[in-house]
Amino acid sequence: MSAPAIKIRITVNGTVHVTDASPTMRLLDFLRNELGLTGAKEGCGGGECGACTVLVDGAPICSCLMVLGSAAERQVTTVEGLGDGAGGLDPVQQAFVEEGAVQCGYCTPGLVMSARALVDSDKELTDEVVRTALAGNICRCTGYKKVVDAVRKVGAAAPDAQATSDHSKEQP
Amino acid sequence: MSGVGGRSIRPDAAAKVQGKQPYVGDIHPPGMLHAAILASDQAPARILRLDVAAARQVEGVLAVVTAADLGDKNRIGIIFDDQPLLVETEIRMVGERLALVVAETPAACQAGLEAVALETEPLPGVYDAEHALDADAPQVHPDGNLIRTFSVDRGDLSSALDTAEVVIEETYRIGGQEHAYLEPQGCLAVPAPTGGMWLYSSTQCPFYVRSAVAKVLDLPLAEVRVLQTPTGGGFGGKEDYPNEIAACAALLAQRTRRPVRLLLPRELDFQASTKRHSMTVHHKLYADSSGCILGVDAEVIVDAGAYVGMSTVVSERANTSLVGPYAVDNVRIRTQVVRTNNLFGGPFRGFGAPQVTVVHECQMDRLARQVGLPPLQVRRLNALTPDRPLWSTGETIAQTERLGAVLDALADSEVMTDSEVMTDSEVMTDSGVTADVHGPAASPAASLVEDDERYRQGTGISVFIYGANLHHGGQPLDRGGALVQVQADGSVSVAIGVTEMGQGALTAARAIAATALGADEERIRITEVDTDMVADSGPTVASRATLVGGRAICDAADQLQARLLPLAAELLDAPDPDALVVVEGGFESPDTKRRVAFEEVAALLHARRENPAAVGWYRSKPRDYDAETGQGQAYMFYSFGAHATRVRVDTWTGKLEVLSITAIHDVGRVIHATAIEGQVEGGAVQAMGWACMENLSLQEGKLMNPSFADYLIPTAVDAPTVNMVFLEDPEPLGPFGARGIGEPSFIPGAAAIANAVAAALGRPVTTIPLIPERILNMLGKE
Ligand code: FES
Ligand code: FES
Repeated sequence: MSAPAIKIRITVNGTVHVTDASPTMRLLDFLRNELGLTGAKEGCGGGECGACTVLVDGAPICSCLMVLGSAAERQVTTVEGLGDGAGGLDPVQQAFVEEGAVQCGYCTPGLVMSARALVDSDKELTDEVVRTALAGNICRCTGYKKVVDAVRKVGAAAPDAQATSDHSKEQP
Repeated sequence: MSGVGGRSIRPDAAAKVQGKQPYVGDIHPPGMLHAAILASDQAPARILRLDVAAARQVEGVLAVVTAADLGDKNRIGIIFDDQPLLVETEIRMVGERLALVVAETPAACQAGLEAVALETEPLPGVYDAEHALDADAPQVHPDGNLIRTFSVDRGDLSSALDTAEVVIEETYRIGGQEHAYLEPQGCLAVPAPTGGMWLYSSTQCPFYVRSAVAKVLDLPLAEVRVLQTPTGGGFGGKEDYPNEIAACAALLAQRTRRPVRLLLPRELDFQASTKRHSMTVHHKLYADSSGCILGVDAEVIVDAGAYVGMSTVVSERANTSLVGPYAVDNVRIRTQVVRTNNLFGGPFRGFGAPQVTVVHECQMDRLARQVGLPPLQVRRLNALTPDRPLWSTGETIAQTERLGAVLDALADSEVMTDSEVMTDSEVMTDSGVTADVHGPAASPAASLVEDDERYRQGTGISVFIYGANLHHGGQPLDRGGALVQVQADGSVSVAIGVTEMGQGALTAARAIAATALGADEERIRITEVDTDMVADSGPTVASRATLVGGRAICDAADQLQARLLPLAAELLDAPDPDALVVVEGGFESPDTKRRVAFEEVAALLHARRENPAAVGWYRSKPRDYDAETGQGQAYMFYSFGAHATRVRVDTWTGKLEVLSITAIHDVGRVIHATAIEGQVEGGAVQAMGWACMENLSLQEGKLMNPSFADYLIPTAVDAPTVNMVFLEDPEPLGPFGARGIGEPSFIPGAAAIANAVAAALGRPVTTIPLIPERILNMLGKE
């Protein structure tokens, strides 16, 4: 049974929400049912498929495993929070579209979020690095090749973006 | 280039990367209720008491339904009438539905489930398909455990037996597989304002869902409307099983007069939904000492689980496909479909063919070794050719030079150039058999690249034939439609009866529509199936989406061109409308080379108030086939293809790693380059999962590993490189010459891996999946 509601403050896609909710509610349910952000998908509910991946303070996590209480006072980014806010795609999303990395699409929002976190890191996007970073996101359709190509393409195309994020890391 | 052969962006890509695509779990109409299933955790068993009175009192619960509430509307079987929607008295499989709960919230549903009082008495079960037909086996149903036997009888096997110099006899045990579509099964049922029922269903077969719901609710078909939701993977797993989910949701919606959504939890989806069939194949291959096959004698046992479902049709394809792409004059096959209390067997990409492809291709390698020929050569020696085109069905296979082209491409592939060497090695001989070593001189261990003592590499090939359309038995279903409407601004609306489940059906259909009409591909709108828009188009299975959707669109386009071309000719001042050429985005006069844009012609069509819509239709031609003997034209046309695969085996841990796959497919025509690559890459990796890691671990019918933590499927780290070769010899019956690729992409995968492992270890492979403990077993390191 869920714990009684308390006041929780959480930032989602840049908007601060103060809400009365059970701290044991799954972050995934909060996002999907309370905020109507249905981009994150439930594929297993057990932290095994990655379809529910969102970023919490920039790090990819399975939102089916994190409870709302643990996300309190933190910055959550969902797939809806990517892009320019006017319908324009984030470079990661754009690369997925162009490379044909999308089939049924159910894994896609989760993969996009894991990829976004990877691209934001200072890692060199070798085939191995990309594959390892995406190993928590199951895709049953694509065989991963085009997904990996898409992520590497973003890395190759955006040296500036990477430099910027490296820079920001050095200045906490 | 756009249209056929292009690489346009798929129509749903942007919505999917933004998380905007509304899967059934994302749709939440006002007043929606949640449903849940009380499922059995043992089988077989008899229900002694199923008391839902307390569950009905739980706060937030609106209804609890059991078989007792359904009367004679409790049947769900699609071919046989052996399956109840809700268990009546006898539970026959784990995961079977005992009761349905509908409530205001998921939590209330859960509380309702927990409040049901259930007492059962266990019964003796059948858990070994190979013993299901024993005289003392418990009976899963009163009419016995043998559902049906399929046969192939061709030529005279005794003559093969008399003259054979080589006999290769082996029993293969091929495991099942979970589809693991990433979106679990789900359906939202909404009572229609006028009394019918609307179903938002994650399905490959909306027309199956419509029939199932009409039957359970006792409604006319016209009152049931199925709107396919974007479907998060199917692979055969959303062929017939969605009927069950939809029927449950519809029943509850009918009772409560409110929208009801039923989403299957992953664990129950694992346990209860259909699986690739496990099969046991006892195979005897008769050949002469030169490697020519004289006869095949095989017994197949297919584990259907407790209910027939689609098992008979799947088995019929396995039965027909068992000989492989070879010309064999004497064949006797018996395929028995049996009931057990194991997992529910059903359709899965390849529909019974991948299992038997493992068998015929492992046998071919064994034959090669025994007669001392390279594997490719023994296949060439026996392959169907224009001079020798009679298949095991007795039918003449058309254009068999395509198979020759596949074998040539195989010989050219990089992986193969090395592996031809290996095949002459003595290391490869079967235990107890000494091979004559012919061919180019090779060191005994040339087959293996030994990294060191611990790791061994090997290469394997496999070749297949596949009827990429419905079997003769499914011909009553083999038709389909398309509704094409040209709008006044030159945009085009297309509705088709075959489904998108990720594979790219809409992308292919849109490309075909663009090229057939001369319309701008970007301005063609095409979406998931709505059964009110298009007539029953049968199931989206058997790699038939491109064929059926494409041919129906072409038919509609022909009708529209009869109206568009005269108008285009008028605008171009061209004398002969029929001489105009449909080009990208419009029409061209062959004489003047002048062009008119599709938009202009569409505008004129509307200005003249001509009919801007057409219904296209496709149906296959009747053909002759005798199901008793398995002789006749089983399929309308056939695809060929091959894999060459390199693996590395860790002999210490038993871990099997697939290093690379070369996939060669005879596709007729590439309709959409990105989509076809996606199918082949995805199919090859899915087959790799089946061959290497996907192990359905059963204990008395209960799946012991119903999660992605314990049932491992390939991740990005496991997936090998897939090199692709597409051979384009147009198919006369396909749209723009295309044949379907969805299932062919999967079929040769496991067989090539099995042969590669056999090559690496110098031991025959007789089972799938090759999980580490089995590899260690092969190495004598249990
Ligand atoms: S739904 Fe969270 S990992 Fe699968
Ligand atoms: S695109 Fe279907 S699971 Fe990845």
